[in-house]
Amino acid sequence: MSRLTTIFEYASWGALCLSLTGLLYTPYNPMEQDFRSLAFSSASSAHWFGIDGLGRDFGSRLWRGSGNTIAMALMALSLNFIIGLVLLSIEQRGPRVLQRIILLGIGVWVAVPVLLIGLVIMVFLKPSVVTLIIAVSLGNVPLVFRQLRILWIEQRNALYVLATETLGAGRRHLLLYTLWPNLRPDLMGLAKLILAISILELSGLAFLGLIGDPDFPELGAILKQNQSYLFRNPMLVAWPGLILSTLLFLVHLSKSRSY
Amino acid sequence: MIVANVHKFKVFLIECLHKGIMLILVFVIASVVIFTAVNLIPGDPVSLRLKNPDPTRVAAIRTELGLNKPLPHQYFYYVISFVQGNWGKSLITGQKVREEISTYFPATIELALIALFLGVILGLGVTLSTQCFKSTLWRNTAFSLGALGLTVPIFWLGFMFIVIGSLWLGWFPSGGRFDFTLPVPQGSGFLIFDSLAAGRLDLLCVTYQYLALPVFCLSLYPAALVCNVLKTRFADPRLDTLIRALRAKGLSESRIWLIHILRLLSAPVITVIGTNFGTLLCGAVLTESVFSWPGMGRYLIEAVLNRDLFVIENGLLLIIILAFLIISTADLLAFRLNPTMKSLSD
Repeated sequence: MSRLTTIFEYASWGALCLSLTGLLYTPYNPMEQDFRSLAFSSASSAHWFGIDGLGRDFGSRLWRGSGNTIAMALMALSLNFIIGLVLLSIEQRGPRVLQRIILLGIGVWVAVPVLLIGLVIMVFLKPSVVTLIIAVSLGNVPLVFRQLRILWIEQRNALYVLATETLGAGRRHLLLYTLWPNLRPDLMGLAKLILAISILELSGLAFLGLIGDPDFPELGAILKQNQSYLFRNPMLVAWPGLILSTLLFLVHLSKSRSY
Repeated sequence: MIVANVHKFKVFLIECLHKGIMLILVFVIASVVIFTAVNLIPGDPVSLRLKNPDPTRVAAIRTELGLNKPLPHQYFYYVISFVQGNWGKSLITGQKVREEISTYFPATIELALIALFLGVILGLGVTLSTQCFKSTLWRNTAFSLGALGLTVPIFWLGFMFIVIGSLWLGWFPSGGRFDFTLPVPQGSGFLIFDSLAAGRLDLLCVTYQYLALPVFCLSLYPAALVCNVLKTRFADPRLDTLIRALRAKGLSESRIWLIHILRLLSAPVITVIGTNFGTLLCGAVLTESVFSWPGMGRYLIEAVLNRDLFVIENGLLLIIILAFLIISTADLLAFRLNPTMKSLSD
């Protein structure tokens, strides 16, 4: 793998970790309007990204916001993989009728855009962070299921796996020492792709106001909240998008790296 | 030859039949899920509509809307009404849902279609230009644009376009669909078509002025998709061999590229656009939100947030069916253009 991809790989991990630290520490409270008299002031040594329209340190909001976005995307990703794996297990091991139903269901599911799935879920549940995570994870299930299925079938029927099985390897050994090392690079690549898609979809849905609380520090929601200040202070809109784009760009560029 | 053609046609028919069955399945599943969801809404939507819900008035409205009948009856009534185009009235505005959808729907379709067209032209143009100018710098710049189109959030890009095109340059309006101080061209709801039909070129210019920023913003995603899919195709050494063979046959460059190569490349372009139509639709909704575009996306989101029963039931189902239809049509077109490829549903 090229040196540049390795650099992007480390940069993406660094950016993700730095964002997540925003959940534990921010220089100022991102929710409190402590600097009302300084509203809309530009960057200074005390406030690196300035103050937003409601008198809050914008840097702290951005840091917490990127942390929240990444954390939510990771939760959506985990839920997505869990559902995908459960469906795959049933499809591979379950009765033939269930296999047919799952494959047919996935065929239907894949045709419905995430936004519409999100809207249907919003009808059941109130707009909130949890609802958003459920919507994004359910929306990407068909993609994950199909990729997992292709990977599994390809590896499970590979000659080296059949040879190991013939030599008397047990199921646990086969899974942990034969299949897993070969599945891991592709799974990591898939996970990064889904993470990038989830970040984009989550912030998009939050931007549309489906996150419930408009004050919740999430990059899409921050952008939405500052939409009305676009002509007064464009940087309040520029920064959240720049951070989001950088995160996505790094994740995309690093996903071809093999483990 | 005839036998081969009959076989190809048979395979195509089977594929069409498969898509038809899937469409019925999508309709049944989506309608059941939406109906169940609407009936599980926390709080009574009729009470939500009235500021001071008087029980007698609520009961009267529920009877009028058929909401006090058993659920299976309500479901069948819902499906039949949907098919007949009898979509009830909005609980928020009191207007007929069908009339409201006929206002918002053309706005979304006009935006999405023009953006799609521009995106495909942009993507094709950029990729083909990399083949004409063999400069590495141009090639890297063109393909970086492809990567950027997939990673930069469309809603943020929209704001940046507003800042540049509207705030700094002052060339384009920052939002809306038309200048309402002027007479709005009446007819189909598609303003370009209506302006042309009325013979008003001044109104057409205004329509284009309002369309420019949202269309350019939305077109970057399909352009990036086309760039990426063609990049992979151009990396295939067999394409070079084919071009060399066509040149040896004595065909002109324009004939080679515009007829033979373009036809060959159209199948993956149609497939990638069709399968990503869902994302394009999400992009259209986000673009509508950024540019205050009065389209279906904003209409549906507001309906869901306001618990507007009949708009959710009919508008959401209509959009799901349309999304599936467009994806399936693209899939079938790609299948027809290249029957050796396997169906995406396999």
